[in-house]
Amino acid sequence: MNARSRAVIEALIPQGGQPPLPGAFESGFDDFYARFQNTALPSMRLGFRAALWAAAWLSPLLIGRVPPLSRLSSEDRERALEAMGASRSYHVRQLLLLLKAVISFHYGAHPAVRRALEFPS
Amino acid sequence: MRVDGSKASAFDEAFDYVIVGSGAAGATAARVLADTGRSVAVLEEGPAVDPKEFSTEVFPSFQRMFRGQGGQVARGRAFIPVVQGRCLGGSTVINSAIVWRLPDDVWEPWKTEYGLGDALPLSELHKHWDLIEKELSIAETPPQVWGEFNRLMDVAKTNLRVSAAPIRRNVRDCRASARCLTGCPTSAKQSMLVTYLPYAEKKGAALLTCAKAEEIRWDGDRATAVSGTFEAPGRPRFTARARKAVLVAASAIQTPGLLARSGVDSPHLGEHFQAHPGCALMGIFPNKVGMWRGATQGYDADHHRRLGRFKIETIALPPEIVFARLPGAGKRWMRAMLETPYAAIWAVQMRAWAQGSVRERFFGTDIKFDLTPRDLVQMRRGLRFTAELFFAAGAKEVWPGIHGLPERIKPGEEWLLETAPADSRAYSMILSHLFGTARMSVRAADGVVGTDFAVHATRNLFVVDSSLFPTNTSVNPQHTIMGVAMHAANRISEAKL
Repeated sequence: MNARSRAVIEALIPQGGQPPLPGAFESGFDDFYARFQNTALPSMRLGFRAALWAAAWLSPLLIGRVPPLSRLSSEDRERALEAMGASRSYHVRQLLLLLKAVISFHYGAHPAVRRALEFPS
Repeated sequence: MRVDGSKASAFDEAFDYVIVGSGAAGATAARVLADTGRSVAVLEEGPAVDPKEFSTEVFPSFQRMFRGQGGQVARGRAFIPVVQGRCLGGSTVINSAIVWRLPDDVWEPWKTEYGLGDALPLSELHKHWDLIEKELSIAETPPQVWGEFNRLMDVAKTNLRVSAAPIRRNVRDCRASARCLTGCPTSAKQSMLVTYLPYAEKKGAALLTCAKAEEIRWDGDRATAVSGTFEAPGRPRFTARARKAVLVAASAIQTPGLLARSGVDSPHLGEHFQAHPGCALMGIFPNKVGMWRGATQGYDADHHRRLGRFKIETIALPPEIVFARLPGAGKRWMRAMLETPYAAIWAVQMRAWAQGSVRERFFGTDIKFDLTPRDLVQMRRGLRFTAELFFAAGAKEVWPGIHGLPERIKPGEEWLLETAPADSRAYSMILSHLFGTARMSVRAADGVVGTDFAVHATRNLFVVDSSLFPTNTSVNPQHTIMGVAMHAANRISEAKL
């Protein structure tokens, strides 16, 4: 995963963003991503890459900033991704949903996250 | 006998009956036909997953047990996920075990408009449901396994005085783990994996897994075999020859494809695709709800089922699924995650008017489905009613997750849901009950399957799943599917073939 894509994931679930929840990379997203690349269907992998690309290059434009997302402050990164979710374009909203869905596959299953939610072990 | 197609080599054997599909319909047919003393083979495209291997995590569960790794979608104005099991036992392994008999008001048009009263006699179906309910320990969800998110709907029922009740389910000693959707870890759910398939196997049926049926072979108008490929390296071929009949029970998505690939030609094949689109709201309560303790779906409100064409169901979704739909990004998304212990999710299940299609294309199965304007009106009414139930149960706010509406709705603002956009793209929906793509008809010109369950103009190729239903059912269909399959298998076993 390149630096621009990492910036997208980090912006979605930042380290120290909301204790006791861990950040995405702190919770081992890299391992999940490797597994996802090896085992997910090609259409899912392609969709996730498209979503990462849109978040990196398109979302800054939605708040009047120059892409990529990695150039922006952490506040603006969040604002840009929020703008994707509120976009009038259905396809832009769907790309953010896909991004969040795949990240949630990892994050929602993480023991520290589940402990924070009191999910039964 | 079991043949694991992930390890098997080429296979060629003859049976009296060959059944394609091991879900509610296929397994029920196998249970009936195995009792006749005839030899039976059940072909399942997915793997046999031992309940001990069921995971609490969604991603591996989707990969192993769901069609398209959970990513199958219907195309239309919006993309709508189509949820189906792809494992031994089919969707019965990953559904919430909800049991409803087909309502009289749904069956009546089957008789009067479609002329199917004799082919699908309600009195016979009730006899089959009596038997199935006994065999699968079907009973109302008891309060001790409700959990708070189901109990709250009981509170709403009392406060609003609406028709709602604990759901009847096919479970035995439910431990309230809220894990139906990733496979019941205690085998409390009486899915086909732990009931009718082992029963048929004990009676001598052969269960072939990781075995994709690709084509039905013919001798004139007589189906003689089902051939396909195993998942094992090199994709070895299998042939299951049928001395008496082939029964197709591969679901309303896969059945039309198999029939089309096998030369069945009907303008109705793959058409009239109907479903029950579902759309959920999240209610946030002042005290902890803890939706991950309780029967996954233990309570529903059928108050508007008949005239409003929708039903409201409680549902416990795993964190992975809940998170994806929460609002925000970054810190705000994470804050929303931390509120989920206070959340309950209740969903509108709608009897849509819409009809779509299912076709085989070079890239795979192409499902088309679009809600009609009438459906969207009903959907919004259903969502408003759901919000009313939430507030009657004490919710402090409702999160609609609908584009164009506020992220949070307070008590007194339920009306906003009826102002939501009349556009399916504004909603997050799923399709989980699927019907009609090889519908039964008296005349060959009106459908794919005759009143004897045989595909028109064939002697012994039968369809026994929900593909043959002339309409959707307005209630969760597993019980109807099983009752119809039992009736069909009884008739097929008595037929001279």
